[in-house]
Amino acid sequence: MKGNWLFKSLAIFVLLAILLTACKPTETVAPTEPPMAGEPTEVVPPVTAPTETAPPEPPAEPKVAVFIFTQEFDNLNPYYTNMWFSSITQQLWDAWAWDFDDKNAPHPVLVAEMPSIENGGLSEDGKVITMKLRDDIVWSDGEPITSADFIFTYEMIMNPSNTVASTYPNDQIETIEAPDDRTVVLTFSEPFIPWVATLWHGLLPKHVLEPVFEAEGTIDNAEWNLKPTVGCGPFVFAEWESGSFVRFVANENYWLGRPMLDEIFIRFVPDDASQINALLAGDGDLGTFFAYSDVPQLEEAGIEIYTVQSGYNEGWYIVLSEDAHPALQDVRVRQAIAMGFDRETLVEDLLLGLTKVAVTYWDNTPYANPALEPWPYDPDQAMALLEEAGWVDTNTDGTRDKDGVELILKYGTTTRAVRQDTQAVAQQQLAEIGVGLELLNYDYDLFFAVDGPCAMGELDIMEWSDTTDFPDPNTSYWLISEIPTEDYPVGLNWQRINDPEVDALFQLQATQVDPDERVATFHEISKLIYERVYWLGLWQDPDLFGVTGKIQNIKFSGTTPFYNIIEWELAD
Amino acid sequence: MTRYIIRRILQAIPLLFFISLVLFILMMNMGDPLSTMGGRRVTRPSDRERLTRQLGLDKPLHIQYLYWLIGNDWDELDLDGDGIPETAGNRKGVLRGDFGNSIVSRGKPALEVIWERIPNTLLLMIPAEIVIVLGALSVGIYSALRQYSLTDHVITTATFIGYSMPIFFIALLTMFIFAVLFKRWGLPYLPTVGMFDPAVGKTIPQVLWHMVLPVFSIAAISTAGYSRYIRSTMLEVLSQDYIRTAKSKGLPQREVVFIHALKNASLPIVTIIGLDLPFLLAGALVTESIFAWPGMGRLFIDHLERADVPVVMGIMIIISIAVVFFQLVTDITYAWLDPRIHLE
Repeated sequence: MKGNWLFKSLAIFVLLAILLTACKPTETVAPTEPPMAGEPTEVVPPVTAPTETAPPEPPAEPKVAVFIFTQEFDNLNPYYTNMWFSSITQQLWDAWAWDFDDKNAPHPVLVAEMPSIENGGLSEDGKVITMKLRDDIVWSDGEPITSADFIFTYEMIMNPSNTVASTYPNDQIETIEAPDDRTVVLTFSEPFIPWVATLWHGLLPKHVLEPVFEAEGTIDNAEWNLKPTVGCGPFVFAEWESGSFVRFVANENYWLGRPMLDEIFIRFVPDDASQINALLAGDGDLGTFFAYSDVPQLEEAGIEIYTVQSGYNEGWYIVLSEDAHPALQDVRVRQAIAMGFDRETLVEDLLLGLTKVAVTYWDNTPYANPALEPWPYDPDQAMALLEEAGWVDTNTDGTRDKDGVELILKYGTTTRAVRQDTQAVAQQQLAEIGVGLELLNYDYDLFFAVDGPCAMGELDIMEWSDTTDFPDPNTSYWLISEIPTEDYPVGLNWQRINDPEVDALFQLQATQVDPDERVATFHEISKLIYERVYWLGLWQDPDLFGVTGKIQNIKFSGTTPFYNIIEWELAD
Repeated sequence: MTRYIIRRILQAIPLLFFISLVLFILMMNMGDPLSTMGGRRVTRPSDRERLTRQLGLDKPLHIQYLYWLIGNDWDELDLDGDGIPETAGNRKGVLRGDFGNSIVSRGKPALEVIWERIPNTLLLMIPAEIVIVLGALSVGIYSALRQYSLTDHVITTATFIGYSMPIFFIALLTMFIFAVLFKRWGLPYLPTVGMFDPAVGKTIPQVLWHMVLPVFSIAAISTAGYSRYIRSTMLEVLSQDYIRTAKSKGLPQREVVFIHALKNASLPIVTIIGLDLPFLLAGALVTESIFAWPGMGRLFIDHLERADVPVVMGIMIIISIAVVFFQLVTDITYAWLDPRIHLE
């Protein structure tokens, strides 16, 4: 009897759990206001008595596109997250002031036109930006979007009670004003050149969040952060089940037109192999962030692969601190390392030739110096340079040495499989020219920690993939002021490169309003970094998207991938 | 019995306190939550300094533990970085039921983050445990009753193969065969990932259909292992004198096996199941990741990777409490199964 009781209890519990899980009410958001005048409206048939007895037509099946993301969002408030997977969804539900097309050119969304010197939106000295907002922009609940929302967004980012992910670039703004409902004026104390790429990545609805801030003194705990039921994109947030999925439904109030799709269903699948299986089985229509080695299998199954340049380049950061290996202080040794590593073959074999060797930190942008070519693979020349620098194998142990110091470099990176494979190849090839590599791998959070091996200068070569303020070329990685010190341990110049010439050029570009002059400065910067081998490009690291034939009219941008989502359509 | 239970509960309090201290110290050295806040880029120095201060990560370890344990609403914090504490703390501490807010899902209480996953975790793990126990009992008893028969040899081989398989291999293999290949071959196929098909919606049949592969994957290995325990304990008990006596009395085989033998053979199994039960809450890390099942295992690893101390500590403390609780339940079950055991 007792056994039966136990079994029945368990059975009842499982049934209850299934019911509770399966029958949880869905928080689907419907627009609370009618569409604005002039917007596409749903035609309501007149109420008349039926004249025929024909059976009613079944409702059209909703057009749902299923995306597979390998990471779940941490937060949906655009200012509380820098996670790539969360950021790329902002084009779905929380429009930027302008987005970027497939050529990474800016395209106005909330503003009527891009501010420029010609239209008076940008001052000659680059310190004042005047944004004119569109007249027809509204939140998904029908509330107009005004300059007050921009001011509120700025204030929330800068308020110390809010733990936003980053205050940049708003911390560069000296004053922000709203002369009227449709105008926002930003003033900077110095020319702020990267504004196009960095400003207004999302907008906070004042009418939703201001009451929360007034009541709690912070918006950290606002429900909107995780359930942003009011947004300003072509879709509206509908539901987020932790660990499982997020749903967005079409925004009937979107001023650029209703999207062709009815719903975007984003499923979180953390395992890479499962993502591939789900795409192969048709359980997802779009996947991203998969390994190069999975591409042939996906292509064979008819999944189209989109290679989207997003400014990321995988490379070696050469450390020149006093604690790093002394050999690296000699540019000939650094050049020898560049010529002793066959990166063309690496890209061909390891990455299946799906990308190219990165030459500069700014590859695939106008800022990369077009005259530069990848360092050639020339082991003989590499060995000659090492001999010239005084590094010879005196003790015949296979590794060069000088003044009793062996030429063995600490080469650290994360645990990502392709990086570990790269380490193995580099170790084998550099051994042939007498350079030893000690391979070290770390979890991502340990590798980039403030007391991690990079920040503490414990390595000689560091590898990861990074970009600039893409599509802007600005970066602070080579500034002398960013070299970590006891007083400033969080500096980002982890390579400890102290090159006044490079530093001066970086300072110069930050003030150049003229785009052509800035491009010329970056050509000079990229040439110096290339020749002095402060950074050695391994491969261009584009974003890969795999899309089944179910979705059509697709374009991707490297900056705002889903910029044309309203045109996406399901195939017949 | 009541005194025994009260004594065990009182003994558990210092134990849980010690566990929490050790876990907290370990967690604080497991990674840097700010290192991942820059997304695919390195976190900006000014943001790192600000967030370190705002999230209280600049405090010494013992102060952070104190805040975690008893809260910080008795203290004032310096959020604006001017060196002058100006904002009253608002955390109540674990002792008052506040595990703090998640660092990853900022603003969301850690307990709420954990609680959201518990139904899905139990939904997967309880059926899996039932399948394991029933499957292992069936296979183990059958195998013991037919020792050294052809069937016993086949079962033994199959269980050893099952036991030696890594779970990720079984999970991916079954997914590829029953979801990808079956669909390709035009056969009825199972879903690959998730809890339901978005085109159909989250209905009971959909959830049950999506549970098939994950439950099978979890059950396959454990069933193989448990059935070996049951087989060996059953063999030992079946050779006892009182079983022979029961048989000679003319009792039906079913009664001899299920009433007399199985009850006495159950003690070691109860121990193993007792150890298993608290970990039902912990979920199945690998299976949940592969089948994209939103359970506690995935939650744990996702938040551990980002050094989300409040959530990870919350999960570990809940599991620690469950371990203590189920050990007590196991001991009580011993006394019920074997009247010779007295709890004092």
